[in-house]
Amino acid sequence: MSRILSHIFRFALFLLIQVVVLNQVELGAGTLLMIYPLFIVLLPVEINIFLLLFLAFALGISIDAMSNTYGLHASSLLLLAYFRPIIFQAFAPRDGYETDLELNIHTMGFRWFFRAFGSLLLIHHFWFFLLELLRFDEILYVLQKTILSLPLSLALCVLIQFLLIRKPMKGS
Amino acid sequence: MRNFLAFIRRFRVLLFFALLQGFALTVYFTFSSFPRTQYLTTASSVSGAVMDMRNDVTKHFALSGSNKKLQAENRWLREQLLANRMALKAPVGMDSVVLEKEDFIQRFEYIPGGIISSSFSRRNNYFTLNIGSKQGVKHGMGVISDKGVVGVIHNVSEYFSVVKSCLTENINVDIMINDSGESGFLKWNGTDPRRGNMIGVSNDRSIKKWAKIVTGGKSGIFPRGIPVGMVEKTLPVEGLPIWDVTVLFAENYRTVQYVYVIKNILKTEQELLEESIPDDPIEDE
Repeated sequence: MSRILSHIFRFALFLLIQVVVLNQVELGAGTLLMIYPLFIVLLPVEINIFLLLFLAFALGISIDAMSNTYGLHASSLLLLAYFRPIIFQAFAPRDGYETDLELNIHTMGFRWFFRAFGSLLLIHHFWFFLLELLRFDEILYVLQKTILSLPLSLALCVLIQFLLIRKPMKGS
Repeated sequence: MRNFLAFIRRFRVLLFFALLQGFALTVYFTFSSFPRTQYLTTASSVSGAVMDMRNDVTKHFALSGSNKKLQAENRWLREQLLANRMALKAPVGMDSVVLEKEDFIQRFEYIPGGIISSSFSRRNNYFTLNIGSKQGVKHGMGVISDKGVVGVIHNVSEYFSVVKSCLTENINVDIMINDSGESGFLKWNGTDPRRGNMIGVSNDRSIKKWAKIVTGGKSGIFPRGIPVGMVEKTLPVEGLPIWDVTVLFAENYRTVQYVYVIKNILKTEQELLEESIPDDPIEDE
């Protein structure tokens, strides 16, 4: 129960951080900091895929409604949610994931997190900026936006996990 | 039939994904041109209220700058008052022209408002205003600031509205070069929030650098002569007899906070008159 509550709390928190703070942070060169993809990754491993897709859609469309992007965030977050099981499978530890474990930087370590979350975020960012510009003659600008935004978003998502998620006790 | 069910079962995740993705993409591709409801924009009451709260905090950061801007605008308006002017020619006799107040009727009204949310680094940037249909804002009205054109109203709810700003790809405000009268349309290339493009200027005319660009006023959305920017450079367009004019915007869209929505009282009259023009079948090609 408390886990469901904490996920609801994260949903609201990431939505507000994205809309009220991060959307207003304009670093130039077309970059955009994004924190909400972390919500999808932090959901339990064994979650129903339909629920996962629906939650991604709901979070994305809420962000769209508050930043006048009309379905742009929803579309890219859906893509991320769709690829989540595939990427998780690809980077699975040798004996699989423990089902009741939340996959975050504390439980899985830096290495796993950077590789798995990094690839998901790459898919998300590339799709987002591609859809935003929607012109193939500007593919270099799409890549520039993706490559500049990706490390910033990734660093932010790592940082917020240290602030938000308590490190599990050793041995438990 | 069984095969069909098996197919659905096998690809049910993909189908569900495609359904939601299809909805998101439909919204994305149709909303910017045909806004149907305000629920998916910041004009909706929930997101409008969130933006309003955010703005309540952040507007104070730029307070002194905003005050200076308003004061400068007030000063300019005061100087326009007739009481501050002296007639160059003394009226001669009774037949001289005296402009009475009754000689004019109001054509444009200005509704003051504030920007509560904005972006400028996306491909299409929309601003949210804290005024809506209750204050008389309607779809398609022009929005200006003290320095220049800001955009056109895109979507309205009761207390909020969304502006399609000059930083959107197909803003298409009709503009002209103040000195020579060359008219064209404003575009934005989607990268630099300080610069736009003016298209439709034929290249047999020479364009002076730093000439002022103002609104043309033909569409009736903006009055004639609202500043837009200055000519920064002109480049030839390959294969077309027109110039690609780079416009340095007069307004800095990063800092604009207070705006006026322009209500054209005579707009319906102009539109009715223009509707009576018969379509020319040759020009439709």
